[in-house]
Amino acid sequence: MTRSTLRPLLASVVAALALVVAACGGSDSGSSTGSSSSGGGASASQETGGKQGGVLKQLGSTDVDYLDPGHTYYTAGYQVLYPTQRTLYSFKPDNSTDPVPDLAASKPEISSDLKTITVKIRPGVKFSPPVNRAVTSKDVKYAFERFFSANVGGQYASYFSSIEGAPSAPTKGVKPISGITTPDDQTIVFKLKEPQAVGVAAALVMPISAPVPEEYASKFDAKNPSTYNTHVVATGPYMVKNDAQGNTVGYQAGKSIDLVRNPNWDKSTDYRPAYLDEIQMTTNESDASIAAQQVLTGSHLALDTNPPAAQLKDAVTTKKGQFVQLPGGGYRYFPLNTTIKPLDNINVRKAIIAAFDRDAALKARGGKFTGDIPTHFLPPGIPGFEEAGGMAGPGYDFLKNPRGDMTVAANYMKKAGYPSGKYTGNAKLLLIAANADPGKAQAQVAKAQLEKLGFKIQFRTVPQDAVYTEYCQVPKKQVAICGSAGWFKDFTDPQSMLEVTFKGKNIAPDGGNNNLAQLNDPKVDAAMDKASTLQGDARIKAWADIDKQITADAPAVPFDWDKTTIIWSKDVNGVGNPYYDALDYSFTSLK
Amino acid sequence: MSAGAPELLTGAEEALSVEATGAEREITARSPTQLFWRRFRQDKLAMVALGFVILIVFVAILAPLIVKIVGTPNPQTTNADLTDDFGQPLGPRAGHPFGVDKLGRDVFSRTIYGSRVSLEVAFIATALIVLIGVTMGLLAGYYRGALDTLLTRAMDLLLAFPVLVLAIGIGVACSGKDGCAGGLIQPGLTVVIFVITLTTWPYMARIVRGQVLSLREKEFVEAAQSLGASDKRIIFKEILPNLVAPIIVYSTILIPQNILYEAALSFLGVGIDPSTPSWGAMIADATSIFKQAWWFMTFPGIALLVTVLAFNLVGDGLQDALNPRTSK
Repeated sequence: MTRSTLRPLLASVVAALALVVAACGGSDSGSSTGSSSSGGGASASQETGGKQGGVLKQLGSTDVDYLDPGHTYYTAGYQVLYPTQRTLYSFKPDNSTDPVPDLAASKPEISSDLKTITVKIRPGVKFSPPVNRAVTSKDVKYAFERFFSANVGGQYASYFSSIEGAPSAPTKGVKPISGITTPDDQTIVFKLKEPQAVGVAAALVMPISAPVPEEYASKFDAKNPSTYNTHVVATGPYMVKNDAQGNTVGYQAGKSIDLVRNPNWDKSTDYRPAYLDEIQMTTNESDASIAAQQVLTGSHLALDTNPPAAQLKDAVTTKKGQFVQLPGGGYRYFPLNTTIKPLDNINVRKAIIAAFDRDAALKARGGKFTGDIPTHFLPPGIPGFEEAGGMAGPGYDFLKNPRGDMTVAANYMKKAGYPSGKYTGNAKLLLIAANADPGKAQAQVAKAQLEKLGFKIQFRTVPQDAVYTEYCQVPKKQVAICGSAGWFKDFTDPQSMLEVTFKGKNIAPDGGNNNLAQLNDPKVDAAMDKASTLQGDARIKAWADIDKQITADAPAVPFDWDKTTIIWSKDVNGVGNPYYDALDYSFTSLK
Repeated sequence: MSAGAPELLTGAEEALSVEATGAEREITARSPTQLFWRRFRQDKLAMVALGFVILIVFVAILAPLIVKIVGTPNPQTTNADLTDDFGQPLGPRAGHPFGVDKLGRDVFSRTIYGSRVSLEVAFIATALIVLIGVTMGLLAGYYRGALDTLLTRAMDLLLAFPVLVLAIGIGVACSGKDGCAGGLIQPGLTVVIFVITLTTWPYMARIVRGQVLSLREKEFVEAAQSLGASDKRIIFKEILPNLVAPIIVYSTILIPQNILYEAALSFLGVGIDPSTPSWGAMIADATSIFKQAWWFMTFPGIALLVTVLAFNLVGDGLQDALNPRTSK
């Protein structure tokens, strides 16, 4: 499962499961933590010529899940990771589709059989105190090995399961991985069991690839859970404030995080300008409205994620230059279960999509400043978006009018065998909704839209965490429409956006099913098998075509391509990073 | 008891009270019902409240007609045109006197229709509570012994539960696709009524049991027993009529209590489909945007307040009129 799916949908649950309870505290909606996105324009253009120095304070209610790069998986964790750690590859604020070499010296070399990836490490990168030595390829190898240990508990092992010798289950203690070798201090080689080099290389942007010094970290990693989380050392321009032994005294769980400059960072090795001297984050703001108001009217402040509606309105309408909108790289949708009558009829599904007032569903989540109305599935910011039709979409009539078109819907109902243009059968469709907003609100919109066409809806609200795990993901529960579903990127690859959610072979009948619509189109499956082995433009084109085919199959009502709005004070030059949908401290400066 | 100097006479004395009409004095006999009405009518506040209760009942019954006359949309109709670009609802305006909610549904229509859910739950649940509570109380109090022990312990057990926690638990358990108790308790209003009844009947039963315990020792019951009257006759003809007053008084307290209970459960999201207008659910929805949309919480809040107050005042009036020896 990808980071982001869980991120917006189950944020609160996952936080609870995830040991560090504070991770997502205060996010009742389960969606505020993670959203993402951006479409909009202004984003990262101000990255040149900021003023050097100063202290920025970010107000927020969400703590990091982990500081440990081997463990973190959520937006807040990424926001601290990006200015403090140098992963092999990373995303600059102005381009969330093509990663640039960061700790790596150049693009990865992929062998012609797609089974070997070779990465050169940049010289001159040093660990922060108390380690104080140059980073070598062995530190990256150790980072990968510890990721798979039970004590560290890396959360996305499946992306790297094709590496030779990669453990299939968490290991007891840190175990060597035979497929990762370091011929010299500047070179690391990944050998794969299958020709998956393109996908694995794309995943080298994940935090797993941030180097960890074995001689320093091994004593922390021997504990369960690893205590490296509170002794983490940095390689980026900033570090979590620590003492001589490496204790991260600047991190107070559930309260605050203090980032100071890393004295061992050498500007000549990095693309980050790093203007600020210090970043102070609060993670315990109890009232988002007050925090947002302080940010908009105060000085040297920024807010961690979307402001509440009133302040969003204020920022968008009267505070030009004090916000950025980042594309979320994901889609929210109402899956229509293709195995349940009458939704097994493609014309019925097209009629539902045609009749659907998707603008109303988006408004239930906060309106056009929190997202765009999709015309297909692949979202903005993912390669293949433009090829699949861009904002205008592939042009199917049933997705043309975002407010819904009853005439088109009636035509499809007639094609489906309902001459009145409305559903006249007796089936009751089970719609599962979250019991809290915005999930509850959007599902009520869905109910009203389906009732317009004559469908009878059995509407059930269940706790947020149960929506997915107890209902939508369990085919035998016979959920006809899932009231809050979303799929978000982990890294920018179209395959990860479509394969899990729409491939017929991925239907899991016994639960944990992510193909919520249970779409089983052999054409789509075959095209996916072929496209996953392609590279470059051919790959993008192939996945864009798959996206069009899926959209034509009408398996779901897509209603939101999320955007995240980040606000700051008027004396701040904010720069957002669309990869993780938060402020990028390495590029943000003060006026 | 209402104020006024002549009211020094109470109870049986009053039944033979002497009325002065000009120079003539006429002695009239009055039935207990007449006496009750006489006393109740003198309680102005209770009369006003009673008028309001009747009004609310009519509003609930005639909700579709009222909404049609005022010209507001159906309470379930969502309309994205009535929320702004940020998804915030628009306030009171022509065609929408109370404004709309987050989904563009008319708050006036929903407040009017909300009375239906409130009253439906309150009346049905109260009737069930009276039925179960009186039956159990009579059985326990009259037969005593093992049956009494069993029933009282069962009541103690129910009363020992934290009520809202139990309610939420049952509400969630019974809101699955097929309900619970073998499909008898279906998701929706039934769950709410079930929860309220289950957690409230012991109060009624205990009151009745206490009364019965003392009544069954009274001379008239002993007399009936010595004449060979059956248990059935004694319970229904001798004891039950003496319980009418406390049952009525307690029921009138139960009705507003159950309205609030329903609102609380709806507020917590138990049971009722969120598209069904209910005051509690409306208030819950409104809390997050109260600063931007005062109307969304204010109108259902006022409706809830006034309704509960009216029922409580009627209840107070009834208590005074039925049991004149108590004073406020």
